[in-house]
Amino acid sequence: MSSSAAEHDGSDLVCQIDNVQGIVDALSAVRWKRHQDAVLELSEHGIVLIVEETGCLQAKVYLQKELFIRYEYSAQARPRFGLSLGLFVDCLNTFSVPGHSTTIEIQYPGPDMQLLLKSVDSLDACIYAEIRTTIPDTFPWDYNFEPAGSTPLSFTVKCAALKEAIDDLEWPGSSIEIILKPLPPSVTFRGEGHGDLQIDFMYYSNTDLLIAFHCDRQVSYRYKYKFLRATTSNIPGSVIKDNRGSKLTIGRGGMLKVQHLVSVARLSTSHQHIDSAGYQQPSRIAYIEFFVKPQEEDDNAND
Amino acid sequence: MKFKAFLTENGVMLLERRFLPALDKMGKICHVFLTRDHAFFLHNLLSGDGVQSVAQFRKEALFDDYRISSQNEDRIAFAVDITLLHRAVRSSVSICSEFGSGGPTANRLQIKLVKKLPPNCTQALPFLTFETKGYKSAVIQDVPISKPLSRAQVLELQAALDAAQDLPQTLVQVPDLNQLQNFVDRMKHVGDLLNVSISKYGDLHVQISTSLITLGAEFRKLLVIGDKAAAPSEDRNLSAQTRVERAISRGDAQSVQVSVRQFSKSLQCHLAKPDCAFYGIAPQGACLTVIFQFFIPGTRQTDKSISLHCRLPVLDPGSN
Repeated sequence: MSSSAAEHDGSDLVCQIDNVQGIVDALSAVRWKRHQDAVLELSEHGIVLIVEETGCLQAKVYLQKELFIRYEYSAQARPRFGLSLGLFVDCLNTFSVPGHSTTIEIQYPGPDMQLLLKSVDSLDACIYAEIRTTIPDTFPWDYNFEPAGSTPLSFTVKCAALKEAIDDLEWPGSSIEIILKPLPPSVTFRGEGHGDLQIDFMYYSNTDLLIAFHCDRQVSYRYKYKFLRATTSNIPGSVIKDNRGSKLTIGRGGMLKVQHLVSVARLSTSHQHIDSAGYQQPSRIAYIEFFVKPQEEDDNAND
Repeated sequence: MKFKAFLTENGVMLLERRFLPALDKMGKICHVFLTRDHAFFLHNLLSGDGVQSVAQFRKEALFDDYRISSQNEDRIAFAVDITLLHRAVRSSVSICSEFGSGGPTANRLQIKLVKKLPPNCTQALPFLTFETKGYKSAVIQDVPISKPLSRAQVLELQAALDAAQDLPQTLVQVPDLNQLQNFVDRMKHVGDLLNVSISKYGDLHVQISTSLITLGAEFRKLLVIGDKAAAPSEDRNLSAQTRVERAISRGDAQSVQVSVRQFSKSLQCHLAKPDCAFYGIAPQGACLTVIFQFFIPGTRQTDKSISLHCRLPVLDPGSN
């Protein structure tokens, strides 16, 4: 082991994870187009991956250190670097063997500031990768999400139902209005464009779909369809099958936050992490957050 | 030019379940080459580019009552669409099994070479005809084939076949074809060119390297056939890449660059359910060869009546 200790000298981070597929699923959820640059931030708490589009849409994947079976962080200032999200996901995917749990080691930085990955299961077969990193040209915009008032405006809806609703809103197109009403407690998605389509989630009649609802006054904001779609369009099938609740919160100025949970449970022992109610321990969950800016009021007037 | 034979039950099984699905992946069109003792299915032997594949059967492995005659030393070759061939064999099988109660001789599958005048044509065209005699009915299927190859073309095909028989000096056994296939299929998303290195120590190393990413896999301590050497102990703790570089500089390893897609295609041959597979690099890095081995059922002995191998074109002569 002395050689491996020497190998890791001077690394900001050396970590190992035993469920690569879980990480692939979590990262795939924010892959809304083919070529996307992502920023990775390393800290003592874990790894955060951030992708952005035109200052109107941002997504963050939180991989807390509890997801890793080993997490050794030794940097002074939090390292931050850019890489291609598509390449990172495709690369991680080659490490994932269906039906097997593969343990991989992630190390940063390599001799040439690369992100290094290697499988550590077997001595006689090894998969390795070196991904070139870049210095990010811009800092990801800090959305500074603040609650809109004294009570939060939020609702939690089953992930599959949310995806289905947003997929159905494709045909009216460009702009989708989200309306929260306290009386009767309900959430409405309304699309206007080539036609009208309105999808209502009534809190009392759809308790199996709309799991939680907090709203003390009526609000409505419009969001660009393509940004709203990005928040659910790439959620992997395994996550839809889990069908956890996705939480949507409307913050000050109509900023929409969409939160998903992705299980990164250990494959071989996954049943130990599930209690009788079917919920997994929070330590084996990756958190995904999307921030969607509302369309400007002026746009509304022009509509 | 005459060819007529009966496909044995085992022959039908070999073709329908194993070889035709595998060969179908290698390319739509293949040459069927029949000699007095052997039947060959050949891909890309005359065209020069693409993966060359050679499937060879001793006539007893597929046929009985095998009759062939031609003015070219009883050799016949023609091109056929492998999908059509597969479809014809498959439907013959279903007819046989449907009417299969007629005893062992009643439902034999005969194939023969014929020339027929198709409707709306003025010229007779060559076909490979499958004739299935069921319990009460007979079904005839005509698979269109190319005009039989000329004497010169057959000689050319024979020469290409002879040239494709050279064995690499070192062959390493692939541990798990499915796993390798799975890995290479995922690698395809990352790049197009694959470096393949094979050492006398029994190491197989595959790597894609672009300006943005290097992704590779190393399989060590594989079974070696041919030239072998003991792995130097000082290499044990090196990274995979350094180990390969050192082995190449010592002359104990060879490296070639091939297309990832073609490499993946060659792995599709596992559909033929080989019992093991070996990779090797031909002398002077001329091509990457993969040889599939079949055992006599129930034994660990090589079935010499069946053979399958592929040769992948090398895109860059590599470091040797």
